[in-house]
Amino acid sequence: MSGYGDSEHPVEPWGPHDWSHGAPHNSFSPIIMSMGIALFFFMMAQAWSFGTYTPGYIPGILLGLAIVGFSLFIWWRQDISFDGSYEPRSAGVPFKNIQIRKVAVWVFLMSEMMVFTSLFSTYMRYRLGIENCGDMYERLEASHELVSGATYTCFEPASHLIASSGWHLTPGAINTFALILSSFTIVQALRYAKMPDLDEEVRRRKVYRYLGSTWCLAVLFLTLKMVEWFIGFHIPEIGFLGISEQNIHPLVAEGYTIHADAYTHHDYHDFIMNIRVSASLFYVTTGTHGAHVAGGIIGLSYMTYKAWKGGYTPTNAVSIEYFGLYWHFVDLVWVLVFPFFYLY
Amino acid sequence: MAHYKILGRDPYWMNFFGLMILTLIEVVAVYLPLAGVAGDYGMTEKQLTLWILTLIAIPKFAMIAAIFMHLFGDEDSKILTLTALFPTFFIIVMVLFIGLTHPDATTGLPAWCRPGTYGL
Amino acid sequence: MERKTAMTRSMVVLVFIAIAMVVSPAVNSLPTGIGGDNIQTQGCNCHNTLPSSNVITSLAGLPEEYNVSTTYTLTISFSGGPAEGGVNSGGFNLWASDGDFSVVDATVQARSPTELTHTEAGNDYRSWTIEWTSPDHGRNVDFILHVNSVNGDGANTGSIDEWNRLDVTVAGSAGAELEPADAFKVLGTLIMISVVLLTVTILYGFYRTNPDNFTWDYLAPWITGWLTSTDHKRIGTLYFVQGLFFLGVGGIMAMMIRVQLAGPDTGFISQDQYNQFFTLHGTTMIFLAAMPLIAGFANWIVPLQIGAPDLALPRINALSFWLQPFAALLIFTGVFSGEGADTGWTGYAPYVVSAGAHDGVTYWVAGQIMLVASSTLTGINFLTTMAVMRAKGMGWMQMPLFTWSILVANVMLFLSIPAFGIGLIQVFLDRTISTAFYDMTAGGDPLLWSHLFWYFGHPEVYVVIVPAFGVISEVLATSARRSIFGYRSMVYAMAGIGLLSFIVYGHHMFTSGMSPTLRFVTMLTTMLVAVPTGIKIFNWLKTMHGGSLVYRTHTLWALGFLVTFTLGGISGMYFPAIAMDLHLHETYFVVAHFHYVLVGGTVFGMFAAIYYWYPKMTGRMLDERLGTLHFLIGFISYNGIFWPMHRLGVVGMPRRTHTYFITTDDFTSIPEWAADWNLFISVSAFIFFFSNLILVANMLISLVRGQKAPADPWGGWSFEWMVSSPPPTPSFDWNNLPELRDANEHIAHEPTRMGAWFNRLMVPDQEEEASN
Repeated sequence: MSGYGDSEHPVEPWGPHDWSHGAPHNSFSPIIMSMGIALFFFMMAQAWSFGTYTPGYIPGILLGLAIVGFSLFIWWRQDISFDGSYEPRSAGVPFKNIQIRKVAVWVFLMSEMMVFTSLFSTYMRYRLGIENCGDMYERLEASHELVSGATYTCFEPASHLIASSGWHLTPGAINTFALILSSFTIVQALRYAKMPDLDEEVRRRKVYRYLGSTWCLAVLFLTLKMVEWFIGFHIPEIGFLGISEQNIHPLVAEGYTIHADAYTHHDYHDFIMNIRVSASLFYVTTGTHGAHVAGGIIGLSYMTYKAWKGGYTPTNAVSIEYFGLYWHFVDLVWVLVFPFFYLY
Repeated sequence: MAHYKILGRDPYWMNFFGLMILTLIEVVAVYLPLAGVAGDYGMTEKQLTLWILTLIAIPKFAMIAAIFMHLFGDEDSKILTLTALFPTFFIIVMVLFIGLTHPDATTGLPAWCRPGTYGL
Repeated sequence: MERKTAMTRSMVVLVFIAIAMVVSPAVNSLPTGIGGDNIQTQGCNCHNTLPSSNVITSLAGLPEEYNVSTTYTLTISFSGGPAEGGVNSGGFNLWASDGDFSVVDATVQARSPTELTHTEAGNDYRSWTIEWTSPDHGRNVDFILHVNSVNGDGANTGSIDEWNRLDVTVAGSAGAELEPADAFKVLGTLIMISVVLLTVTILYGFYRTNPDNFTWDYLAPWITGWLTSTDHKRIGTLYFVQGLFFLGVGGIMAMMIRVQLAGPDTGFISQDQYNQFFTLHGTTMIFLAAMPLIAGFANWIVPLQIGAPDLALPRINALSFWLQPFAALLIFTGVFSGEGADTGWTGYAPYVVSAGAHDGVTYWVAGQIMLVASSTLTGINFLTTMAVMRAKGMGWMQMPLFTWSILVANVMLFLSIPAFGIGLIQVFLDRTISTAFYDMTAGGDPLLWSHLFWYFGHPEVYVVIVPAFGVISEVLATSARRSIFGYRSMVYAMAGIGLLSFIVYGHHMFTSGMSPTLRFVTMLTTMLVAVPTGIKIFNWLKTMHGGSLVYRTHTLWALGFLVTFTLGGISGMYFPAIAMDLHLHETYFVVAHFHYVLVGGTVFGMFAAIYYWYPKMTGRMLDERLGTLHFLIGFISYNGIFWPMHRLGVVGMPRRTHTYFITTDDFTSIPEWAADWNLFISVSAFIFFFSNLILVANMLISLVRGQKAPADPWGGWSFEWMVSSPPPTPSFDWNNLPELRDANEHIAHEPTRMGAWFNRLMVPDQEEEASN
């Protein structure tokens, strides 16, 4: 069994890596990443237990994330010198001549499809299985069975809050716009990275700016999501447009939380609802999507840095395409999440 | 990269434009009072809204997949499209078995089949 | 450095380790529940809730140290409390931890040989005389005496009546009673011993690679090389070592379960502890033993068989592996303090999200989330590798059957495991930040967990068996010295199993109250999925019939597999009939079935694979005589364990319960012979466990002293036999990849109808090689 490197193939498990010999044979990244992930989960389980929050464990969680970050740093330290000279392609049918990594990304996307299908199936099951709060209210009102002060378990979709007045929907609508635009900017980055006969400095600037815009749009997406969930926003009076002053409350301030077992809504008079399942579904599904956006931001950070360094040329531009495929998938999921969670 | 044009222009830009228009239609459909139209088709306004949203989500989905993800017009498109569509069977199974069954499924049975009503 | 100094150093280290083990603080023991009457633990409360010091109790006649088997006359008496009135002056309850009481007059009655109380006639006394015969073992005996002092007004409660308690310990010549062994201390000790053995073996392996350089300076790069390698062969070895280690740990847990079940009410493991044992046994065996062993072989053999230098994504392959040991740490969190996961490996809701379940469940869930990530990455890696990195001339229908089996298994795995991952995340969030996915008071649906779990769970069990199918195909073909019979149908059968496995999962939920339509559909599909499996078995039989079988150890294990897996499959066919399932669900019949297919299937397949590919992986031959001994003892003892369980299940012995009862009441317990068979099973289990140590010894001895292996010791003809034993790194030269010129020429260039359609659709026009 071959040993640990030799004079011909120096081994750099901490990076950087010489890609002329192919993919790295040694890397500290996997074992350190696993350590960080395990620590993160352990600390998370210590910090929260059945709703009881112990803040003392937050440094532990951050340490776990920092260790994962460090492992990513090692990974990218090995990757940043990648210039496309080593990009193996498929030999056999049916993926003939397609880059191996592109096939890998598509296979990965297949598993991600199953992830979101599971989330959507859960949503469907509950939404069809638990009676809608509005329907329940109307039914009980009509038959005069409404008991004052009693708590009713029913399904209250977030759309009832978000699609109620135009302004509530603004963050969601801007987010849709932002994601679709970011899909466009990432394609533009790929185009300019691939374009032959382009001045190197022009290429560097174009690719860097398009990747940077994608990054900014993704950060905007997450920021608006936080605004929508936790912060809320204020609409000033703009007389000539007929806009009156309003304070749009965030979802949690309206009481739409995962702990909401005594929720009320002004549309339903004297009707107390336990909506914990609906809220859990909303936050976890849109949160999972948000986590995927966050993952994309991390990847984009590395790519923007590499682009700024002029690391993308037509030979390795296809790396941007791999990320682009993931990013379009994230956009695709949003195309499904937005109507079915925010509008319906 | 896409080597074709849409309406004579850059396909990615047109795709973006088209997606924005569809999104706008979605949002408008939610805010328009469509109760009357819904009644014509024999369903509630909520059901009609769901239909519209679903019918718009499908082309949006297809446009992103086909144009942004190069599943159309590329030399590798055929095999990659098949790869992307491979999980369809498994998705349908999961939606049918998990999404469309629900805890009180036994109440949907005819009375003679429901536990507690047939003398056992 | 001098060899002597090096060995001294290692001896010192070992001594330190041994001392550390001895002085290590005892693991927290669980409260050992005191069996027997509540009075001993809770005190009297018929005549007032608290004892009173006004009542002075005495138990006279006990010696300082008793003689064995001697009868003593004891006098129970008390004074104090309210003044005597009419009838009913006082009463007592005397309990002894050992020995026998005898009654001398009608004022006392015996509730049991070790517990006495007053009769109605003795209810107006304040002293009583009894006899006590000491036990023959000479250990300390405890007495607990409760007396109550009443004023005879007939009222039960009131502040006038008082009681008190006296605890006396009488020494025997032998000293204190031995504490019953704490199951978790035993488990912890055995696991620590295994870890030490593993560490010593690894260090010894390091020593053997370079005897002259057994120093710290050489150790660091050696270990770093292993910790950071992305080479598929090294990662395969890492998976393998992990898998074998946890096979041992799972086996230890199984042995302890069998000790507990050797007789009725043995008292070794309480129900609460037992819950943790079977949970961790299941999780360990499936996720930390079976899957890594399969992954180990897959990593080693698949790239060699398709002529690829490595997998498609080597660093991600390393990540897939390293997620597992750290996940194992999370999964085992809480076990030794008694708070380990106690939900069963299936983790059913709503118990899994309840506060009543142990704290360790949250960590167990988190560990499994990491395993989900590991498996997803593995699935992606292997599917990509097999799709794109086959050697020239190797079309899909020229791949060896082991590679096909890994392909089918990995496709099933990465498509089904996200459902499990989402379910786990839901449980994790329910248990931490208190979302309400499975909280029934908020409308949560426990059946959702069952659906998500089994949507994954059923394909998962096929994931662990299909690679065994692949191994058996390879082994039988090579042993029969002919190519496998019906290669094409074998491929279609595996693909069919892969596809069907997704629509049968409801058969795990027949008793859950799920949708009746789904129950009906699932019943039919489950019966259907036996068909492709049957096709495979017939093909294996026909392969042997048309060939000339050579009996090596791997052949023996493959033949054993054919017997046990077929039996397991047949016992499995009782479950799709829902009426039968209602009777057999949660009985030992289920345990028998899945152990027949998992151990008799997967583990035997892995044993065959070890004997078959060990020469390739290490360059040494395993000893055939030890191998045959391993097989004979293992196969016979294995059947001794699991065959009787079928009958035990049919008569109703339930699974996941820590004990069973043999009484004359036929309706509520199992027959008397069940105890005998349980003992037989336990003894067989110990024999089986130790027989596997023969394999470990064989592997270690052969590593050092085995005959050197040629590239192709068995006469196989797939690509892995064309490279040296062990193979070089990289396994093939990127610039000089092998090319397959197929032995079965007539198959290679004749596309089937489906292959022709596929060709027309997929392959670009300028394709000269007509491969499918």
